[in-house]
Amino acid sequence: MSNSLRAEEATAPRFNRDIRPILSDRCFPCHGHDAGNRKAELRLDTLEGATEWAVVPGDAENSEVILRVSSDDPEYRMPPASSHRPPLAPQQIELLRRWIDAGAEYEPHWSYIRPEKPEPPQINDDASARNAIDRFLIEKQQQHNIQPAAEADRVTLARRLYFDLTGLPPTPAEIDEFLADKRPDAYEHLVDKLLASPAYGERMASWWFDLVRFADTVGYHGDQDHRIAPYRDYVIKSFNDNLSFDKFTIEQLAGDLLENPTMWQLVATGYNRILQTTHEGGAQDGEYRAKHLSDRVRNFSEVWLAASMGCAECHDHKFDPITQRDFYRLGAFFADVDHYGSFEKIATNSLPTERPPEILAWTLPVFEKAEKLDKKIAELESALGDHFKGDWEKKRDELISLKRERIELEREFVPTMITRATTPREIRILPRGNWMDQSGEVVQPQVPHIFEPLAGGDRRPTRLDLARWLVDGNNPLTARVVVNRLWHRYFGIGLSKGLLDLGSQGEWPQNPDLLDWLAVEFVAPASGYPGWDVKRMVRLMVTSSAYRQSSLPRPHVEAIDPDNRLVARQSRFRLEAEQIRDNALAVSGLLVRKIGGEFVQPYQPAKYYMHLNFPERDYFPSNDENQFRRALYVHWQRQYLHPWLLAFDAPTREECTAQRNTSNTPSAALVLLNDPSFVEAARALAARVLAEAQGDDQARLRWAWRVVLAREARSEEIDLLAKLLIKHRAYFSTDNSAAEALTSVGISKRPENLPAAEWAAWTSVCRALFNLNETISRN
Amino acid sequence: MNRFFANAERLARRTFLGQASLGLGSIALTGMLQPKLWAGAANASLGTSNGAVEPLHFAPKAKRVIFLCMAGGPSQLELFDEKPKLADMHGQAMPESYTAGMPIAQLQNQKELRCYGPQVKFASHGQSGQRISELLPHIGGIADDICIIRSLQTEQINHDPAHTFMNTGTSISGRPSMGAWVTYGLGSESADLPGFVVLVSRAGTRSPQPISSRQWHSGFLPSRFQGVPFHSTGDPVHYIGNPPGVDRTRQEDVINTVNALNRLHDAEVHNPEITTRIAQYELAFRMQMSVPELVKIADEPQSVLDSYGVKGADGSFGYNCLIARRLAERGVRFIHLYHRDWDHHNRINKHTRELCESADKASAALIKDLKQRGMLDDTLIVWGGEFGRTPMAQGDVNSPEAGRDHHIKGFSMWLAGGGIKPGMTYGTTDELGYSAQENKVHVHDLHATMLYLLGIDHTRLTVRYQGRDFRLTDVAGHVVQDILA
Repeated sequence: MSNSLRAEEATAPRFNRDIRPILSDRCFPCHGHDAGNRKAELRLDTLEGATEWAVVPGDAENSEVILRVSSDDPEYRMPPASSHRPPLAPQQIELLRRWIDAGAEYEPHWSYIRPEKPEPPQINDDASARNAIDRFLIEKQQQHNIQPAAEADRVTLARRLYFDLTGLPPTPAEIDEFLADKRPDAYEHLVDKLLASPAYGERMASWWFDLVRFADTVGYHGDQDHRIAPYRDYVIKSFNDNLSFDKFTIEQLAGDLLENPTMWQLVATGYNRILQTTHEGGAQDGEYRAKHLSDRVRNFSEVWLAASMGCAECHDHKFDPITQRDFYRLGAFFADVDHYGSFEKIATNSLPTERPPEILAWTLPVFEKAEKLDKKIAELESALGDHFKGDWEKKRDELISLKRERIELEREFVPTMITRATTPREIRILPRGNWMDQSGEVVQPQVPHIFEPLAGGDRRPTRLDLARWLVDGNNPLTARVVVNRLWHRYFGIGLSKGLLDLGSQGEWPQNPDLLDWLAVEFVAPASGYPGWDVKRMVRLMVTSSAYRQSSLPRPHVEAIDPDNRLVARQSRFRLEAEQIRDNALAVSGLLVRKIGGEFVQPYQPAKYYMHLNFPERDYFPSNDENQFRRALYVHWQRQYLHPWLLAFDAPTREECTAQRNTSNTPSAALVLLNDPSFVEAARALAARVLAEAQGDDQARLRWAWRVVLAREARSEEIDLLAKLLIKHRAYFSTDNSAAEALTSVGISKRPENLPAAEWAAWTSVCRALFNLNETISRN
Repeated sequence: MNRFFANAERLARRTFLGQASLGLGSIALTGMLQPKLWAGAANASLGTSNGAVEPLHFAPKAKRVIFLCMAGGPSQLELFDEKPKLADMHGQAMPESYTAGMPIAQLQNQKELRCYGPQVKFASHGQSGQRISELLPHIGGIADDICIIRSLQTEQINHDPAHTFMNTGTSISGRPSMGAWVTYGLGSESADLPGFVVLVSRAGTRSPQPISSRQWHSGFLPSRFQGVPFHSTGDPVHYIGNPPGVDRTRQEDVINTVNALNRLHDAEVHNPEITTRIAQYELAFRMQMSVPELVKIADEPQSVLDSYGVKGADGSFGYNCLIARRLAERGVRFIHLYHRDWDHHNRINKHTRELCESADKASAALIKDLKQRGMLDDTLIVWGGEFGRTPMAQGDVNSPEAGRDHHIKGFSMWLAGGGIKPGMTYGTTDELGYSAQENKVHVHDLHATMLYLLGIDHTRLTVRYQGRDFRLTDVAGHVVQDILA
């Protein structure tokens, strides 16, 4: 953050906002929470510790801390050179000084305090404010004399909204429809339409999969497939049905502990099973039980608390009040999940491998069939009633055949890993994380000590208690974590930047009041609607004026706010790996919109899996419509993620990912230029041009441009493409075999009677379109 | 572009690219391969880098690393750690004082643990008189160039986590591998090849342990620091070949059109990402030329091919060693070879011989070749597995079927070139070869030493992620001063 953004804060330093970040970074490593590493028996993370001798409240000049950090003597100055932490800047020392002089008041870390709902500020000129979000943002902007950006043009807005909410591009017809909609709330209508589309759930599912590290393979060693497809569909369905986030949380962590759980609720507990497991010969069960415990604690705390607890596996957290005991007590909640360590002794090296407990469950397409049948059966049964007259025999036979069909449908159920509670294993604190050291204290399940303990009397707290604790409305973190991450999705940067760390090393939120307002609104909406409504929260964000702003930078604003933390414009960023391929398939007409089911396999370089073993395996790309399904169904091989996914920064999903990198590399260029999926999409789009676009080259180029980029092309742009077209038309007409080769890439049907040279030349044009920065960006 | 925009763009660029700076001119530069592009290697005097560590913390001894990973865990007892006492005790029960409370892998299921004598003879080699197995005659021939460490220790006893530990300093997935760290820290010297390249080979027809691409992943570092695997069949690098029917001229036409359209758009929207993308497309196009050129070994004299035992682009270890030298010549920073199939739970006598046949000659040829070209001085070579093997037999000690299990308390590696003291043996294990005894070298120490030789203080090459400063050596690691030249 630039200094000018701090201008308003020149009055009284506040501990959480101004002081803690300094202490946390420079002092806590040796004078913090971690007792094992504490130097000079001094801790500065509590008032008691600090005021023993280092801090004299009200008297900075006589406080050892000030003398030390401001000293010129390298022997005396803190932090010492050996810590490799730089000395404090003069402004930081000044802040410390003023804070001590004002009484050295400590606050608990902001994210550990339950958010209160602030009143949205009254602003002078709120013409551009559509909802509370805007009022919070505009207030800050006005403090810096910045006006929000103008609204983006309607085409940009539509393309942005389509990608953000569904992950797919709008068609020209959809753009036209939106442009023609003259209602004042046309935009809101579009939002509602997209939120209701099944593609919304698919788009949200990818986000969730990164967090919970959902993948099709076990991760370690042989990286065999494990059976988990129904869980993928559970997540898609939950977002589409707008299952409230509290239920979504409870079902995944503890669906098996609910009374009479439904099949979907059992499928949901696959969450506890999708960690990395192994089948390696010679794996020691005790070691893998320890690995599983820490993997689950890491993921749980990262997904729901945005707390990085990983280091507490071996020692107390250095910066946050998380103890090693907290870590193992959290782990104890999962002590009933399975009793397996390594799976060597109970499964085989097969593809897929077995990971009991599993149940046979439906995927979405099967569920939909079952739902229809169940409805018909219920109708017939009630029609039959208890009075058999007329054509009852016909109805009876029909009922029998429907019931038979319903049973037959179970043939289409597939195995899926679930959680089935067993007698909890004994959990001990492992000294220094060493699983062979069984001398540590035995611990019971409990939430971290900084929170009120779960009251259960003598009853051992369960996963269900833990899940409910997350979403009971009192947890200070859960809602903040979720809204911060949603904000990141729609604005490009979190209100607190570290989406995986709202602890003391995380960033003080840029607009803490807005974050808290959103968090409380999420849990308990002012409107009185039920809480934890994800679609409602998404709708709130994307219907703000802030969301609808143009993303074009303005020089004077950039100078004040180069990182766009004041959100005086939209962000612009590259699309995610999945969207980039989905987009190419969609605009070329190849995309097959079928929701749910087993994974699919796009083309991939030959022998890409050659270094996998147990068993060795070939890769068979889908040779039917599954080749053209959306990317979220692509086989997620943790150890060898598809090169296109890797090149565009999709995570391997071995650990929780809350924020993907956005790289810009030659590997990505090579994928877009040469991966057969993209070449095939180009030749398919070229065929569409020849079949569907009317008029001369210019008109057809404009048509293609609009299909890919939504906006109208400028004439310079058309000129450049026309040059390529003419050049390649000439070339390919002299080399028919080259033209045939290029237009034969992929398994999709080749339309007949297309002149190869013409088709190939247009394929070059479409390849160029697919490689444009704008094509793979959301603006 | 007015002054404000220039300034805003610079600011934004800093945000997007970290330290990268890019020109709009004709020379395409890369964010992927060279974190700091204008500090070209040609101008780099001692003590500077074009990576995140600038200036370097120490005067570097090595400019690049070739890591020859003998994947699966070669037996130190048949290669570098001569144990006459173990031979004496062959067939006797392994004293429990050695094994009590120690982790074991497949031997968990074996009732008795018996000593298994070395299956080979050792001899002294070179001026230095280093004791090396008869299975490694060629490595014996470079005894005076290498430093053998016999006291390595690691923490993970299964292959997958042990590789992850050897590469990233932890067994938890998602952390950068050492090649990524080094390329991040130092940048690359190559304008048209990746900074971190991986080559995998296998010997024989057995079913070797898998190798995960996690081993060369960049973890939380930007993905441009990921290792790029080179293949001996198909495209040497994924998607390096043009689509069917597209020749180089036609590819160039498409790329030029893309770049021209991107430039046009950039003039409108002023987005530094577009500038970078234009550069990356130019680089990709150059790579489409430079990579095939790199793997064309036909220009090597027959004598060189013979010395490596290379018969063609066969993906053998010998071929990969030769490619490693060619990559090193072209400025690639970190070259990581994996030679699979050292996991000899059974028939160790037979299988270790086979593996040595495939590894010995080429390893020695690489050292000699680099030396002859004057490149050994600034190339650090590391040779060894993710762990070693037990002094106890797996299976019946008296059967040719006997093998050795995974072992992490004491094993051997050798290092050469780039600032390593040649012709010395360092560290010992106890008399049965179970635990490292004198001068223990933990994997973290190996990493600290490698980074030191490259000019980096391992405690200062850190990246903040999830609120914590991470480094390759976690919270440990000491430079092994005794083996420095």
